[in-house]
Amino acid sequence: MKNKFKLNFIIVLLAFVFMVFSALPGQAAKLPKEILVFASVDSVTTWDPSASYSTEATYMPNIYETLIWVAPPGSDKAFEPGLAERWEASSDGLTWTFYLRKGVKFHDGGMLTAKAVKDSIERTMKMGKGAAFIFEPVKEIKLIDDYTVQFSLKSAAPFDRIAASANAAWIISPNAVNKDRKWFDEGHEAGCGPYVMESYKPDEEIIFKKFDQYWKGWKKAHFERIVVKIVKEGTVAEQMLESGVADVASRVPTESSRTFDTKACCERLVGPSFINYYLHLNTAKFPFDNKLIRQAVSYAIPYEDIIEISAAGLGRQAVGPVPYGQFGHDDSLHQYTHNLDKAKKLMAEAGHPNGIKDTLTFTYAAENDVEKAFAPLIKEELAKIGINVEIRPMIWTAQWELMKGGPEKAHHLAAVMWWPTFSDPYETLYSLWHVEKKPYWNFAYYKNPDFDKMILTAYSTPDGDKAQMLYANAQKMLIEDAPSIYLFDVELPVFKRKELKGYVINPNYPRVPFWYNMYKE
Amino acid sequence: MLRYIIRRMLWLMFVLLGLCAITFILSRVVPGDPATAYLGPRAKAEQVEMVRIQLGLDKPLYTQFFYYLRDLSRGNLGESLRTHRPVMVGIIDHLPASLELMFSAIFVALLVGIPLGVISAKKENTLVDHLIRLFSVADVSLPSFWLAMIFQIVFFRWLGLFPIGGRIDTVVGLISPIEKITGFYVLDALITGNWPAFTSVLSHLVLPTITLACFSMGLIARMTRSTMLEVLREDYITTARAVGVSEKEILFLQALKNAMGPTITTAGLSFAFMLTATLYIELIFFWPGIGSYITKAIFLNDYPVIMGVTMLMALFYVVVNLIVDILIAVFDPRIRLG
Repeated sequence: MKNKFKLNFIIVLLAFVFMVFSALPGQAAKLPKEILVFASVDSVTTWDPSASYSTEATYMPNIYETLIWVAPPGSDKAFEPGLAERWEASSDGLTWTFYLRKGVKFHDGGMLTAKAVKDSIERTMKMGKGAAFIFEPVKEIKLIDDYTVQFSLKSAAPFDRIAASANAAWIISPNAVNKDRKWFDEGHEAGCGPYVMESYKPDEEIIFKKFDQYWKGWKKAHFERIVVKIVKEGTVAEQMLESGVADVASRVPTESSRTFDTKACCERLVGPSFINYYLHLNTAKFPFDNKLIRQAVSYAIPYEDIIEISAAGLGRQAVGPVPYGQFGHDDSLHQYTHNLDKAKKLMAEAGHPNGIKDTLTFTYAAENDVEKAFAPLIKEELAKIGINVEIRPMIWTAQWELMKGGPEKAHHLAAVMWWPTFSDPYETLYSLWHVEKKPYWNFAYYKNPDFDKMILTAYSTPDGDKAQMLYANAQKMLIEDAPSIYLFDVELPVFKRKELKGYVINPNYPRVPFWYNMYKE
Repeated sequence: MLRYIIRRMLWLMFVLLGLCAITFILSRVVPGDPATAYLGPRAKAEQVEMVRIQLGLDKPLYTQFFYYLRDLSRGNLGESLRTHRPVMVGIIDHLPASLELMFSAIFVALLVGIPLGVISAKKENTLVDHLIRLFSVADVSLPSFWLAMIFQIVFFRWLGLFPIGGRIDTVVGLISPIEKITGFYVLDALITGNWPAFTSVLSHLVLPTITLACFSMGLIARMTRSTMLEVLREDYITTARAVGVSEKEILFLQALKNAMGPTITTAGLSFAFMLTATLYIELIFFWPGIGSYITKAIFLNDYPVIMGVTMLMALFYVVVNLIVDILIAVFDPRIRLG
């Protein structure tokens, strides 16, 4: 009995010791040059390219391709050819013809033809999920020949920007166009991009391998495999980078972000994005039904402090609602600055020299750390002009529900983060300030028929210069009326090891690492 | 015994029904439209209305609850609003990772906690006892998320002994991928004889296991100590000593067996508690278990996932309790169930 007990105990102990020691050498494997490890914060909601409209957008452009791409900042032209070699629009902007590249193969062996393009876009339109709304102007898709596809529109629209959207515009293999969402979500894909999805473990890891028959070829230095590790904690991602377990990360803690460039191993790249923060003022009730008070508040906002403190300096004070770099942006528009004297003067003009008695409600999305950080800064400055606000953090879905409930019960001030689905300002201007019968996104509850008319004209004019001028005029109206405050346009950081080269930041495809261009030195 | 188990199972049904009703109501009174969550942020108002009808959200709450119960009785936990995948599939995908971590943690907690408790009782009020007490109290008191980060800094950053997180090394995973059989990587690697993967998986288990085990380890050590002290004062122990039975045999065979009841209860409850404790540990060690699955669901008010995971946790808790009761009866013949 005694010996049996001893023996059992020793066996268990030895097994434990063996397990611990056999575990010891297992983690030191150095990453080879042909493998890229990406510590990404972005999970996948769906792999269906027609329905995708969430954080999987980070990976989609490496698997799928669009007819054309919006060129990165600093390019000579606004667009770059994708699956279409060239394209043209009719003079009235109602017909858009795309001439496709020949010999493009999909990962499953299917070939790119005009029919594949028609079927892909029609699938997306028919499903009506995600960002399918961008194809609303499309009346008909015609096959001119095997490699020419023509889009007829109900009304003129900048279809080049729509076709280059980072959502919903992906072309799917003809072999998979009839598959349902379930099939894609089981981990299948049907793109013709540079990388093939090799395996997918939800919330854990995605592995991609290079597509040998990719139409651009593999002549330069490229990665054979990409391993995406889903890492939600910034501190963990930072340690992975520093120790060489990862090559690039999408997030590190804000406090580390500032000093990231001082590390010997790593560096921070910063690029523009079309993401921005607005502060909506409820124009349907007191006190923001008064334009002068709205303007006063616009002057009371500490723009620079907000960028410095809440975004670690990564941002630019917005000039109007259309972000820097996007078509329609106009740097010459009036920009409110932090000027408390002007703000007080406007409050006096509005008949409230001593401020407002009521306490106003200021809501923001509790899960958004940037909004959490700038809310107190705004509260503090508004108090200086006699406006007292009560900050109310809410989970985004709850905040949205409250705002959709109508202006009477909703906020006085609400912080909202926004990004456009495609690179035309119409979607932003229409969604956020166009008259809505039932509130859905216009949370300033702004009503201006002239503004509505002007943005619609701008959207449907085929003349780019005229559209730019009309968009500028529409923004002038918004800046003058001040239904919202345009806080700042976000600059997105990427954290990487120094030996990783070729990372291109394109604000039209925010957060997308284009792996095809990358390599390790 | 069988009657006892049947009676407990019936009680279990009532507990789950009550819990289901409470979770259902709570998830519906929280502001946030599930139809909007289902369609995504820029869906049109008409689409939202259509989905409201499709999901049955236009019906009264009691009808929705009835439908939920009907589906639940068929093993259908609904569809995630975020991913549109069945919740059952999501749970099956994520649960093995959590269970693997929990089993290894309870193994470590028992393996370390029980001997510590026994030694502590044997060396009552000596320096060894005080040191073990300090260790046990620290285990119970230190927050797991803090311990997790400290372990990462010390054992990954400073000493380079263990990986920072995940279930397997990136390169090893590529060269020697694990064939999925049970979903438990350790077992799958063992069954297929994949030794590089086996050692890598073990090394990845070490830090999250110790973090998760700490609380239970401290608790088990304290409970074992106090029950051992009681048992060691019993007459039959004195008799055993008088007849010359060795001290080790007295401690680990005669006394420990009789002191195991409360320890098993503690271990069982700790094990059940681990399913919730593992949620934030998984986040820090990017362990792809139930914690990763439910975190995003909570932020998006993905109520089918929240309810599905809550039901799973409740079921787990009640079943573990039942097993504990049966185990106690097995260890202590004086206890009769029924």
